[in-house]
Amino acid sequence: MGHYIELSGFDLFLAVGLIVIASVISISLRLGLTRSLMVAASRCMLQLGAIGIVLKKIFQINSPILVIGWLAIMLVMAAREAVRRSKSKYRGINMDALSTMTFTSLVVGLLVTQVVIKVRPWYDPQYVIPIFGMIFGNSLNGICLCLDRFLEYLRSRRQEVELRLCFGATRQEAVIDGARQAVRTGMIPIINNMTVAGIVSLPGMMTGQIVAGASPVQAVAYQIVIMFMIAASNALGAMLLATLAARRLISNYGIELNGK
Amino acid sequence: MDETQSSKEDTGLKGLYCGPIDFTDPMGRRLLRGVSVSFTPPTLCVITGPSGSGKTSLLRAISGLNKAHVPERRLGNRTYSDRRLPEWRSRVTLLLQDAPCIEGTIRENLAFAFSFKNALNKEFSEKEACELLKRVGLDHFGLDHPVNGLSGGERHRLSLVRGLLWAPPVLLADEPLSGLEPELAQVCFELLYEYSHKRPAVVICVLHQERFARQADTVLRLKDGTLH
Repeated sequence: MGHYIELSGFDLFLAVGLIVIASVISISLRLGLTRSLMVAASRCMLQLGAIGIVLKKIFQINSPILVIGWLAIMLVMAAREAVRRSKSKYRGINMDALSTMTFTSLVVGLLVTQVVIKVRPWYDPQYVIPIFGMIFGNSLNGICLCLDRFLEYLRSRRQEVELRLCFGATRQEAVIDGARQAVRTGMIPIINNMTVAGIVSLPGMMTGQIVAGASPVQAVAYQIVIMFMIAASNALGAMLLATLAARRLISNYGIELNGK
Repeated sequence: MDETQSSKEDTGLKGLYCGPIDFTDPMGRRLLRGVSVSFTPPTLCVITGPSGSGKTSLLRAISGLNKAHVPERRLGNRTYSDRRLPEWRSRVTLLLQDAPCIEGTIRENLAFAFSFKNALNKEFSEKEACELLKRVGLDHFGLDHPVNGLSGGERHRLSLVRGLLWAPPVLLADEPLSGLEPELAQVCFELLYEYSHKRPAVVICVLHQERFARQADTVLRLKDGTLH
């Protein structure tokens, strides 16, 4: 690690000035956003502050149990958020989202931390927590998009699915088109991100590493690993969730999409 | 008279038996009360009845597309449990009331089922498809014509052709002639009749038109949850 400039409390106080600029604009244009801007800014500070303290403790104690416990909390929160963001829901969606994210992050996360980066000790929180965090955050997005697309397909193309069933389609055969569309939709953001990476924006992790003093080439290498990791977790997550949702929503009698 | 509650013995080798079916719709109406159907090919049976009497529910129950209580489904001497519904439906195929299409061309709409696991060794015959399309007056479109934009009557004819090409031993058709002009309706009815007697197969149609009921082998009336 190279050098980086440490931020003091006073520096953060100065940064508050930036939020003041945004508030002044909101007030002068009567956007009606001042209050929500303030609430959001406060929440951002409090949440990140709390995370900072917790992470510092976890880094200090450096115990595998603590790292796994923290990952489990992140996982549950991510799965809940994925469900909350989806426009339509069904009975059992929580369980499906949680098992999808657990499986996806385990497979992809372990591959990246243990095989690609070779983190030692295997639970080193400095690597394991941010990398799993990125998998959770990104597969959450993929899962949401995929789920919305798939449920929308079942709703709008119900008759098509029935038509296939009428001619002897198995459940999988009846919804394969919908599942394909859903997985495709879930993967579009990461494909777009990979396409413009480095041109339109410098990805967050890479920027962070450069600021923290890592060599740009190393930062790029990490970023590539991360991008591919996200692609894998999006694809895996979307496919798995579509499969689980199909199992729950399509029975041998047809689509069981209740109004929920 | 083929409708029976107790004649499982006389279903013959290729016969269809399904029942006794009980079905209560989501609104709590008990639409089917112990209805059994038992037919041997060749048969073209027309089911009539007042609207809302459960004709569609009966066909869907036979096909296994609703949660009706159906203790036994049998074709020939094979019985089909709920777990084997896809296999059952590949042999007892329902043409849905609204004649839905899948997105794509006419060819895709006629051929999609042939790629299913349950299609076994059936093969889609383009020649046969063209002949049937010609008979129902859809040949001017061509097989590569997209189906969106087809009228209701055209979709019904396409649905009929799809069913005949699939050629299952039992074909269930829910108002297959709706939206058709009298002449075309007659052509389509004759196709169904011909199919049931040539293959030979069991064809069960829900129809409103009296004149077709007179041309059928069997006419049953669904009223108060039972077949008469």
